[in-house]
Amino acid sequence: MAPSAATLVEAPLQSTVENIETNFQPFYVLHKASSRKNSRKSNLCGKSRKRTKLSPSGPNGIENLDNEEPDGSQLEHLRMECLELVWSKLETTIKDVLRDTNVQVFDDISRWVYESFAAIRSSGTPSSSSATRPFPTFTRAECKVLFTGLVLTKNMEVVDDLLTFEELGFHLKSHGCHVASLSSQELSAKSSIGGCIRSLLRQLLKVTVDAADMFILASWYREQGYYEKPVVVIVEDIERCCGSVLSDFIIMLSEWVVKIPIILIMGVATTIDAPANVLRSNALQQLCASKFILGSPAERMEAVVEAVLLRHCCMFSIGHKVAVFLRKYFLNQDGTLTSFIRAMKIACVQHFSMEPLSFMLARLLVEEENMDGNCASFLEVLPKHASDLLSDSRYSLVEGTDNNLGNILSELKRWRKKWSIVVLCLYQVGKFGKVQLLDLLCEALDPQFFKPLTSENSSRLQQEQGTSFSSSYELPYQFSSRKDGYIYQVVRKVRDLPAEFLHQLLMSWEKITGCVPEIHQNVKDLLLAFKLGNGKSSEKDIADLSKRHASRNGLFVKNSKPIMEKTESFLNSLVREHMRPVECIPFHELICFKDVRKLQLALIGDPRRRIQVDLLEFQKIIKCTCCSENMNSLLPCAHDSTIMYSLAQEHGDLINLHDWFQSFKRVISHPQAKGNHRTKQCSTPKKRKDKPTVERKSNASIQARFCTAVTELQIAGLLRMPSKRRPDYVQRVAFGL
Amino acid sequence: MEVDDLDDEEFAFSRNYFLAKELGGSKKKSSGKLADIDVVDEQELRAAAANTEPKHEREIAALISSYKSSYAKWVFELRCGFGLLMYGFGSKKSLIEDFASTALMDYSVIVVNGYLQSVNIKQVIIAIAEELSDQLKSRPKNASGSNVHQTFSSRSMDDLFVFLNGSNEEDKDCFVCVVIHNIDGPGLRDSETQEYLARVAACSHVRIIASVDHVNAPLLWDKKMVHTQFNWLWYHVPTFAPYKIEGMFFPLILAHGGTAQSAKTATIVLQSLTPNAQSVFKVLIEHQLSHPDEEGMPIDKLYAICRERFLVSSQITLNSHLTEFKDHELVKTRRHSDGQDCLYIPLPSEALEKLLTELS
Repeated sequence: MAPSAATLVEAPLQSTVENIETNFQPFYVLHKASSRKNSRKSNLCGKSRKRTKLSPSGPNGIENLDNEEPDGSQLEHLRMECLELVWSKLETTIKDVLRDTNVQVFDDISRWVYESFAAIRSSGTPSSSSATRPFPTFTRAECKVLFTGLVLTKNMEVVDDLLTFEELGFHLKSHGCHVASLSSQELSAKSSIGGCIRSLLRQLLKVTVDAADMFILASWYREQGYYEKPVVVIVEDIERCCGSVLSDFIIMLSEWVVKIPIILIMGVATTIDAPANVLRSNALQQLCASKFILGSPAERMEAVVEAVLLRHCCMFSIGHKVAVFLRKYFLNQDGTLTSFIRAMKIACVQHFSMEPLSFMLARLLVEEENMDGNCASFLEVLPKHASDLLSDSRYSLVEGTDNNLGNILSELKRWRKKWSIVVLCLYQVGKFGKVQLLDLLCEALDPQFFKPLTSENSSRLQQEQGTSFSSSYELPYQFSSRKDGYIYQVVRKVRDLPAEFLHQLLMSWEKITGCVPEIHQNVKDLLLAFKLGNGKSSEKDIADLSKRHASRNGLFVKNSKPIMEKTESFLNSLVREHMRPVECIPFHELICFKDVRKLQLALIGDPRRRIQVDLLEFQKIIKCTCCSENMNSLLPCAHDSTIMYSLAQEHGDLINLHDWFQSFKRVISHPQAKGNHRTKQCSTPKKRKDKPTVERKSNASIQARFCTAVTELQIAGLLRMPSKRRPDYVQRVAFGL
Repeated sequence: MEVDDLDDEEFAFSRNYFLAKELGGSKKKSSGKLADIDVVDEQELRAAAANTEPKHEREIAALISSYKSSYAKWVFELRCGFGLLMYGFGSKKSLIEDFASTALMDYSVIVVNGYLQSVNIKQVIIAIAEELSDQLKSRPKNASGSNVHQTFSSRSMDDLFVFLNGSNEEDKDCFVCVVIHNIDGPGLRDSETQEYLARVAACSHVRIIASVDHVNAPLLWDKKMVHTQFNWLWYHVPTFAPYKIEGMFFPLILAHGGTAQSAKTATIVLQSLTPNAQSVFKVLIEHQLSHPDEEGMPIDKLYAICRERFLVSSQITLNSHLTEFKDHELVKTRRHSDGQDCLYIPLPSEALEKLLTELS
């Protein structure tokens, strides 16, 4: 498909030459959207609109493609649609989870807003004559109080709270408030107070005005229906705002508060005394502050991971290495939930762009939504193509099973259900021992723990378990957790649980396992045994166990010993039987993203290191035969900048230009130069003016090459140019990779 | 184990730094002077640089064309709402333009040359808005077509962002691609421009394909910009192609200094100033030429002459001219023997004469 190298390069180079004047225009239009493709696209978009609604007719939309042989672009289109489906589902799940974690605080805030609003109203509304005057009403000091909610985010990363405050805005709007928010840029010294007012006017009045006048806002508010709704102004991050601008803004708002009942909500990343550090005292006096606390980033992270990777919202999974990378990235590098979500999206996109059969995920999703079996038609789509793809050697075919797409998918689905139930059950125990979900998950995904059973183990197991092995997975493979691993710890933890917690645990398991009857039954049995074990206690006693447990604690501990052992062995068997890391499932490639390197490269660019490696290991990238033979020596045929940068490594933080030039010259003019050229004995004889022109010419070209290489290194930011004080030296900027 | 890797890396970095420092300090500094190199004159140098024979042409061509196989994936990712950020050694200008003109024909493409010294970001945003409005108009059943007729140049930045960030429920695939060569370049490097670019990138109707060359380019952005606005996908695409156009604005290291050169730069700077400022500078030149032995011209004397000739009305105006000169290193101050500060132009007499003739 790819034309020969020579012709390919011609094209871009030519275009550079042709557009020579465009190179010096700050910007220009390269081309306009071609109309031919527009029509094709709108056709496809019509389909996509139909599909994304996820209606039962969704799969039928694809049937149109069935008539013709699908080509690459149509398959790509399918994958794209599937991606949209999966990601929109994941995104809404994440948003819902985050909203749920905050919903309590949001309710508190909106209640407080209305209480404050009532307080402002009770202090008296302005008379109609004073309300129309273009200046604030002068009132007693206590009427100038500005009600302020300080929302402690417990998080230094503002980026994670942007969404929270946006959601808070929606929440308050839905409760009938006028809401506007101001970012730290709008509260900066540059945009000053005028910028704040303009921004308020733009958000509340939906108009852009040049005059920043509070009176416009006041008259707008009067027109809105007198004193019916509070006006809430959200400042996302007060620590980043300019203190004096914010102080002025607060003082101004407090003067207008009788005419416009403004209530302020401010995000605080550090501690409750942050306003005292940021604001001037006269502004501080105007505030009547209340405190609200959001959940910590770690809690939110757990909730998101649980929803995205364990709950049944979609089948998309990640491999062990990806999970380990994400954990490391979250804990050690970035620490923001936003970046975690972004990484998930990148993983998703990479999966759908690389995995040819990934569009089958859509079928699983549609099936989930629409249980009446309407999806059979979907299965018909592209059957030939799908089986062609399936027979691709990439997938490890399982002997003895027919590799029918339908079977494969339902098998995957069954696996996913059981696996996530096991992890969730473990997580419920882990919560008592403060085990992080991500840690558990990384271990549960590790294919290394899924080992062949030794004969000794196997016989012991059979004694323990009798015939209770589930038939779906055949031993001799089983999950055996490491002795110092989290899963092992969690299983052991069960026996230390007090009876009350054990009851809670069993109740939560009952909820989790609902969708897999065989496990659910076992949990029910356990619950029953628990109740019976407590002999005399009736159903009702168990129900309000927590209220009374203090007085009956002794009894419980004594009676619940056998049940604890039972629970532990149940959990053990769960892990052994159903814990199967995704990478050990046949055809997991369809739903699982494993390429950690791709994800890492796309997520974290590392220009500092990589640009230097490009230079130093030029021959590896360019794959040139002459250079790769002599890896350890600098050859004149290497790229000039490579030669220069390698030479620069020999210098200290300052590079003498003269020496550098001489060694460069020596390398490029001696074809047989070996590694020892680097010893810096700059004893080249000085050139004479009366040398022949040919030599002068070559001299000019060497100097030109030297200059070009220096410029290139300068563009890469690896050098700092000579200063006035040291005209003969350039400074190295990067040290080591 | 991974944590250890990280620590090792950091340790290696600091060790390298101190080793380099030591190397600089312990060895006797080389006394080699640039002047010892028999430098040919600048024009010859520029000509030679333009004619430099490229090395490994075939391999580089093969390398660049190997990226063509990724084009489809890049388009896929752009459609998913990501921005593409290309880095790696070598000019990526032709690579990206080739990508844009072969794989992005469905979308309007605007190219911004960030390697230029100044780029007017508002103009760029207006151009994007115009392209988008054209693209929207050409679509059938376009509901928002009616309100895009007014000119964009008169709108405020906020309005433009609102337009670019319009709802794309109807068609997620309607966007304008903006190619930014050297988003870390001199014309775009300041934080305000980067804020604007980030806001543009966050708009639903815009996708960005950018390149960076500087090793510290990521320092331009904070987490908010990276994660929620630019939404970068990094691509390591070294090309080893020469930075022909990007490097054009850098002075050649062996060609700095020289009378002709500095007079020329001075002329260029002065021509961009007001006639009055030029005249003030002329007064300085005349003084320096007529008193070649003195340290310089005292400020009050300069002020007196300038007032006489109606060049300045107050000390403040004069000072503002002088600040301008000092910023461009056209004028320096030094202490006169009697303790007074005086001004001088750090150029030789010949250069001054040349300058004088060019100014008048």
